[in-house]
Amino acid sequence: MKESRLMLIQYGTAVAAVALVSVHLVMQGVIVPYATAISFSNILSIYRNGFYAIFLEAMLVVVLVHGFNGVRIILHELRQTKPWTTWVDAGTVLAIVVTVAYGTRTVILAVFGGVSA
Amino acid sequence: MSDVKLVVQRFDPFRDAKPRMMEYAVPKREGMTVLDALLYARDYLDHSIALRFSCRQASCGSCGMKINGRPRLACYTPVAELGGERVVAQPMDNFAIIKDLVTDLESFFGKHRKVMPYLMRVDFEEMEKPTAEYMMKPEELEKVLQFTYCIKCGLCTSSCPTVATDSKFPGPQALAQAYRYTMDPRDEGGEKRLALLDEAHGVWRCHFAGSCSYVCPKGVDPALGIQLLKRHVMSGKAPRGEGEGAKVWSAPAPQQKQ
Repeated sequence: MKESRLMLIQYGTAVAAVALVSVHLVMQGVIVPYATAISFSNILSIYRNGFYAIFLEAMLVVVLVHGFNGVRIILHELRQTKPWTTWVDAGTVLAIVVTVAYGTRTVILAVFGGVSA
Repeated sequence: MSDVKLVVQRFDPFRDAKPRMMEYAVPKREGMTVLDALLYARDYLDHSIALRFSCRQASCGSCGMKINGRPRLACYTPVAELGGERVVAQPMDNFAIIKDLVTDLESFFGKHRKVMPYLMRVDFEEMEKPTAEYMMKPEELEKVLQFTYCIKCGLCTSSCPTVATDSKFPGPQALAQAYRYTMDPRDEGGEKRLALLDEAHGVWRCHFAGSCSYVCPKGVDPALGIQLLKRHVMSGKAPRGEGEGAKVWSAPAPQQKQ
């Protein structure tokens, strides 16, 4: 993929992450008091709300893509050999896939009752 | 008049293990520049000091160096402007040292050449033997004018934090020139230039520290040019695309006098 497309994704995910995290903090810190928000039963009820589960999944993808792409950029500036560039790019994709898959697993388990209060 | 303490970083990569600082007492005189002080030290105190200079009027860009920790032109920096009695001259950062204050600009000019800093036309015949005079509107000239003032002194590159870590990054000078020629309405090679810069070590590695614009002795704002260039790299389109030469505002060539 062209670097300009990757940077477009980087800028897009940055804006999306700010928006999603802001909404999340307002929902779970202002609307619902913080002490209640971090209780296990409340967290489970959040996951079991279909809309919020999708919201959390979106936040997971957006933050991980933005974060790992940022690390990729830093690593590219560290060394400039072709094998390094290739390994960093491949490693970034792998890291995103693995962490998104693991996070999605948690969401799915919570939504479909794999975890109980 | 009192003396100015001139401290010069000395280093010969073939003989020295590491750089050393040497101090010279140079008699102050009115209007003295750092280059004047260095030339006095070289002519009367130590013939072995190596430095590069030419025009002495901030036109050639040869005498770029780090003066009291900041990249400057030695010929354009009055000693009086530096305040104290001590002037420290060191070679520019981000360049290999040939000897003392002389740095190797090979890679700097290589990167400059790589961005194709010249006007390109699709019609080669027309480029070589133009049938009309290709002109720019004043508003078109205004967009690129400041970037034409670049004297390729390398000060912007020496101050760039990305160049310090990424050896493949073209640097602010080359990128600003890429913008200058891409924005020129007489140019039709903009898309080639933009494609060249759209890679992992290209224009996107500029993090807008802005130090290049801060140190430029000619008042050029390379950081601005780079940010504007990013917009065109993102779209992949130059303001005048290839094959759109008809958009160029041209006037008949003036008749040559017999």
